[in-house]
Amino acid sequence: MKKLAVAVIFGSRSTEHDVSIITAISSVIRPLELSGKYIVYPVYIDKGGRWFSDPELASIELYTKGNLDGFLSRLKPLQLKMNGRFELVWPGLRPKSVKIDVAFPATHGTHGEDGELMGLLEMANVAYVGCDMPASAVAMDKALCKTIALSEGILTPKYVWFYSIDFSRDNNAVLSKLSELKYPLFVKPVHLGSSIAIARVSNPKELINAIEVAAHYDDKVLVEEAVNDLIEVTVPIIGNDKLQVALVEQPLLKSQDFFDFDSKYLHGGKKTGGGKDVSQGYSKLPADLPSKLYKEAEATALAVYKAIGCSGIARVDLLIDGKTKKVYFNEVNPLPGSLYAHNWRAKGLSNVKLVDELIDLALERHKSYSKLATGFKSSYLKQY
Amino acid sequence: MNVIVDDLDIRYELKGHGRLLLLLHGWGDDHQTYIGLMSALENKYQLAAFDLPGFGGSEPPKQPWNLDNYAELTAHFIEKLGLNPIYAIIGHSNGGALAIRALATGVLKANKLVLLASAGIRNSQPAKRVATKSVAKVGKATTFWLPEARRQQLRQKLYGSVGSDMLAVPALEETFKRTVKQDVQADASLLKLTTLIINADHDPAIPLKDGERFHELINNSRLEVVPSPSHFIHQTNTKDVVSLIEDFLT
Repeated sequence: MKKLAVAVIFGSRSTEHDVSIITAISSVIRPLELSGKYIVYPVYIDKGGRWFSDPELASIELYTKGNLDGFLSRLKPLQLKMNGRFELVWPGLRPKSVKIDVAFPATHGTHGEDGELMGLLEMANVAYVGCDMPASAVAMDKALCKTIALSEGILTPKYVWFYSIDFSRDNNAVLSKLSELKYPLFVKPVHLGSSIAIARVSNPKELINAIEVAAHYDDKVLVEEAVNDLIEVTVPIIGNDKLQVALVEQPLLKSQDFFDFDSKYLHGGKKTGGGKDVSQGYSKLPADLPSKLYKEAEATALAVYKAIGCSGIARVDLLIDGKTKKVYFNEVNPLPGSLYAHNWRAKGLSNVKLVDELIDLALERHKSYSKLATGFKSSYLKQY
Repeated sequence: MNVIVDDLDIRYELKGHGRLLLLLHGWGDDHQTYIGLMSALENKYQLAAFDLPGFGGSEPPKQPWNLDNYAELTAHFIEKLGLNPIYAIIGHSNGGALAIRALATGVLKANKLVLLASAGIRNSQPAKRVATKSVAKVGKATTFWLPEARRQQLRQKLYGSVGSDMLAVPALEETFKRTVKQDVQADASLLKLTTLIINADHDPAIPLKDGERFHELINNSRLEVVPSPSHFIHQTNTKDVVSLIEDFLT
């Protein structure tokens, strides 16, 4: 059987650049290689936005030992060809090119996970893994996601969003809008992931400082009420029409804390449990919830996945009020860090099988999109 | 927590209640250097520690800075958080030099000062200065043909081998040069506040004689020497250092 050419695209101009490198190398490239079904092309986008491809770029040591710049200086940036198909071109006296069958975005945050890359791949008419462009763009806007969820009858903590520029022009008007919210509050940049610049505040002074920090990084800011007696859970999902839910996972944090960047990416990976109750050092798998609440969390996550229009893969974060047992939608992540492979593994799906399924889902969606009519007979030109 | 000061994202930590102690860390370090000290003192004082721009979780300055720029930002940080007047400043290494400069120029005001293995006497180690200059010349001549990243790695190793912090934070190389040009001996001689100077007897980075020199320069000062082969005496000799500070502050 012919091996499929898969381009794993990672890095990019994003505050989550480094997280993307780990996702790509540990959870995508290695499993794809291990499956034996693919020819894998690591495609690295540097912090300046230049694209490179070389087998060495799949080696984590290149990034951890600080010799990346020297290595890149010896490579010529990659060129892309989009003539009805998607090709990677290595320029030179004798340029080399390869047709890509499936693109596997492993980018996080801006210029990648936010739909930009998906739009490019859509135009290139190539199958790609994960949410499509519209869903990715919506998922990256926490405020828009909440508006959609609310319109579908899904609970979300009371919130207010505003443009950063409006706060700098007239902070009193914004603060007056915020006065309807009850402390403690969470302040978040609307488009950033990995908990960057997120703060929990308990008084107006802290609120103003936290808004300034969020506005330093993003043009839109979201402020929302904290959920009392918080049980935070996250639900990884894969699928296009038929959806599979992984285990409902529960970060092991006190209610006054939150899942910050370091907790997510730097303190994880210490397995302390075994069997069904697998802990990642920072989470409990599966979540310790009564059966009814566990099912409600799954159902809410599935409803969000559908409402946002996700396909391929996503992770839905939920907040549960431990006393009232109400389940609130928090945010959706269209490309979970490291694909949440540890969770799927605990569910019984190995990392190799996971990437296999994601490739199949990408091809399935591409086929179904290709069937959609793009022509429409009209007399507009004749009438002109 | 983070706060925007002078358009830079600054990471900080506030602990405890009471009179305010401001903690300034050294070059290549961050506020977490003071974890032990903070735990020991938070019952009696309010402690404010932050990562200076370019270190730890704080955004680097947009252009090269010197001690005066860092002093201005420190004053704006205190102002931004609306903290009480500073009772005492505790500065380690370059944080000590910063404290001396900020107090002498009146950018910061405090009742007391604690200098922990303070830097700021720039001509006390002529051999080190000659070695650093030689490394700079030899490094330039022998590595010009290498790719930038490899060259930078080698330079880092060379500077580290002669005990220089020049490339401890490569992005701050110019800032480092400007900072180490500022000798604070004249500033120290202007200080009127009571000062506790603590140095290690075998500090590999700051010789004991620098502590003795500060003791000579600052009228109202007291010098304490702790037995340690480390520059980070607040970490290696926490109990001794805390006890000296507590006694000095009461």
